[in-house]
Amino acid sequence: MVAGAWICLLAPLGGALAITLLGPWISRRAAGYVSTLTTFLAFAGALIAFFGLWSRDAHDREQLSTAYTWLAAGDFQVGMEILVDPLSTVMMLVVSGVGGLIVWYSMGYMAGDDEERRFFAYMSLFVFSMLLLVQAGNFLLLLVGWGLVGLASYLLIGFWHKRPEAVAAAKKAFVMNAIGDATFALAIVLLIWSTGTLEFSAVFEGVDGLSSTAVNLVALGLLGGAVAKSAQIPLHTWLPDAMEGPTPVSALIHAATMVTAGVYLLVRAHPIFEAAPDIQSLAAILGAVTLLVAGLVALVQWDIKRVIAYSTMSQIGYMFLGAGIGAYGFAIFHLMTHAFFKALLFLTAGVVIHHLSDEQDIRRMGGLKSALPRTHVAFLIGTVALVGLPPFAGFWSKDAIVASALARGDALGWTLFVAGLLGVLLTGAYSFRLYFAVFHGKRVTVTQQTGDSHHAQHGEGPMSMLVPVGILAVLSAIGGLLYIPGVWHPFTHWIEETGEPLVEATTGQDYLTSAISVALGIAGILLARRAFQLDRQLVTMPSAWRVFEHKLYFDELYDALFYRPGAALANALRRRVEEPVIEGSLDEIGSGTIFASGGLARVQSGLLRTYALAIAFSVCVLIVVFVAVR
Amino acid sequence: MSGPGVGWYLIVAAALFGIGSLGVMLRRSPLIVLLSLEIMLNGANLALIAFARQVGDLDGQIFALAVMAVAAAEVAIGLGLIVAMARRDMALDVDQASALRG
Amino acid sequence: MWIVWFLAAGACLGSGIAVVSMTNPFYSALALIGNLASLAVLYLLLAAEFLAAAQVLVYAGAVMVMFVFVIAYLGGRADAPWAGGSPVMQTAAVVAAVALLVEVVVVLGLAWGDELKDPAQVSDSFGSPAAIGELFLTDHLLAFEITSIVLLVAAIGGVVLGTTHEKGRP
Repeated sequence: MVAGAWICLLAPLGGALAITLLGPWISRRAAGYVSTLTTFLAFAGALIAFFGLWSRDAHDREQLSTAYTWLAAGDFQVGMEILVDPLSTVMMLVVSGVGGLIVWYSMGYMAGDDEERRFFAYMSLFVFSMLLLVQAGNFLLLLVGWGLVGLASYLLIGFWHKRPEAVAAAKKAFVMNAIGDATFALAIVLLIWSTGTLEFSAVFEGVDGLSSTAVNLVALGLLGGAVAKSAQIPLHTWLPDAMEGPTPVSALIHAATMVTAGVYLLVRAHPIFEAAPDIQSLAAILGAVTLLVAGLVALVQWDIKRVIAYSTMSQIGYMFLGAGIGAYGFAIFHLMTHAFFKALLFLTAGVVIHHLSDEQDIRRMGGLKSALPRTHVAFLIGTVALVGLPPFAGFWSKDAIVASALARGDALGWTLFVAGLLGVLLTGAYSFRLYFAVFHGKRVTVTQQTGDSHHAQHGEGPMSMLVPVGILAVLSAIGGLLYIPGVWHPFTHWIEETGEPLVEATTGQDYLTSAISVALGIAGILLARRAFQLDRQLVTMPSAWRVFEHKLYFDELYDALFYRPGAALANALRRRVEEPVIEGSLDEIGSGTIFASGGLARVQSGLLRTYALAIAFSVCVLIVVFVAVR
Repeated sequence: MSGPGVGWYLIVAAALFGIGSLGVMLRRSPLIVLLSLEIMLNGANLALIAFARQVGDLDGQIFALAVMAVAAAEVAIGLGLIVAMARRDMALDVDQASALRG
Repeated sequence: MWIVWFLAAGACLGSGIAVVSMTNPFYSALALIGNLASLAVLYLLLAAEFLAAAQVLVYAGAVMVMFVFVIAYLGGRADAPWAGGSPVMQTAAVVAAVALLVEVVVVLGLAWGDELKDPAQVSDSFGSPAAIGELFLTDHLLAFEITSIVLLVAAIGGVVLGTTHEKGRP
């Protein structure tokens, strides 16, 4: 069973290495096959690990497997150890399963690209990194996986490196993630200092003995990392820009897996957060704020991928909300269902973009219902799942989180409850705005634009693109049925062993919440339909429109706060310090040496008698010295 | 021995050394420089032998013998150099032989 | 003893000054021979018989003969006027030599009473060829061997310096 976990971890790494090392000697399609097959192999390994764990007793479900001890300094030891427990097996299945489907899809999507091999190598690298992150048995290995997914994200966002926008977006993503990495690393240092270990179970046991400042700082550091990686406010500005990457990348990294790493961290490290309840509540609040802001901004975006990106941001806000109030099982449940329908949305959007020769502006789309019938059905399933209408996946998971907020009861709980419900309204509105704009209305004429030649294919796409979409559509439809309140809770029971939830909604609260949210969702859908029929936008106030369109001016704020002073300081240092002092001193050393050596060279006159005179004088002096010393 | 004490010999040796060094520093002909060099070496030899007598140890005389051998060798080479210089019609002037100037 | 010493020492110093100050190199060479001879006398006074003999044989005999040969070969070119050069250098040279002498005298004066009192008692065979030879071939064998190598190298060097190339280049 542990072997299954190791296979799961190492198969994608093997794939990435194989593609890298074999390079031009394998065909581009072969690279795609290697990547896809190793990812599915990882899924098989994850299944073995999962079933192996399932067959064990409920108390025996935490398996640690160490490959070797990596670092040992005094009493502190950290090793290459993976943890197979309920939480990590679920994450392994999601990452390798959904990842496998997306890599398969990208065989069709990226076919014909000149650098296909590099793409698949990077994808396999990413899958490996994400699996390392979720399987890590100690914080250090988690940080390693954390950093590696950031690297893979950078490489994949900037995949089309000849586009300056893509390169800029990749840099932005990396830098903002680095901020989170820094806080995460500081938290780890603090953990080493206060508990002396980084292994999960040991840390969690030692948490009680820490001072509240220490625990709060650690939790804050971890939260900072989670916020950056999951694109929550205030470290969210990189995610919309990350849509510059190819669509499968957006699906895999920025919807299904990497951005959910923050949620995973919040759930994994929940004992630390429970010991720092203020920080945990802060996580919930940030989640709530993000879900609302992202929903509002999504109402005014024109790029199909950006709408879905903001939707992702918003849904992760729900997960943060869930983890922040202690509904760990539901947060992970929503993570899983969200992976299904968000990947589905991105992949179908990819089919649409592919079909329209790289057109991404929804104002230039329309009426594609008849041209892409199967895609249309899949997209509709995904959208409905996103809004959370029964019996689709999002309904079960999202409402459970909102109901948990209701169950919490205090002021924070009520605020979160209302925010969550408002979010449903917004979700209905923006997602169906997108749906109507793309698939309904006037049939758009597909003019031959100058896209990449490999996107000139019309029609719905090859089997490699359609089958994964189909599978994801089925999962989005039935995947939520792992939790029916009052009836059947296998998923939450599974996760409970890793984290006991802090709040449990009663069945009554669950059904009440569901009723209200379904109503709000349908209301949002109707609003969107009305606006579409009247050919108007949902946000009519021009000032509101401007604010939302500029994403609440966060980019401008950060530019003014951080970039400009930093650039000014760098320029000033260059002019005042680097050129005169550092370069100048180097020049001075050079010319000074030449000057000194010129002077010294004059001593070597070549005249024998001068040398003899010098020696004679030296001897006299030396004699005096010798005598004086005695 | 009822002659002068070792100190007197040493004064003579020092005087010889000084005279020799004057010759090295003040003459321009390499030939005279070599001769002065010989005087310096002889001064050193005298000091060695005087001390050998004072201390009663023959090592000083051995040293002086070795010095003599080396001085002979050095003179041979030096004279060879002078002859080579003369053969090439170079001026026999140490001030003009300054090709090693830095 | 003292008379002999004074005569020998005087001859030594006088011939030394003569070597350094003569303009005719031949006279300088002759003066040096005188210097070497008087030194040999001083060595005898210091119970260094073998060395005195070696001095006369090797130095005065072989080395000076070499000198005279070269002077003969050079003929007129060997004429050596007194040096020019800056007066500063000349005064400096004189100062250095005098300083050296003064220092030695001072040192000697400091040590005159204590260390330089009585010479050690030596046997009659002190300084004899047998004693020197025994020491040279046992305690100082390395010096012996190396000295012979030095002489070999000098011989080779002399041959190399003296060879002419066929084409008439000196």
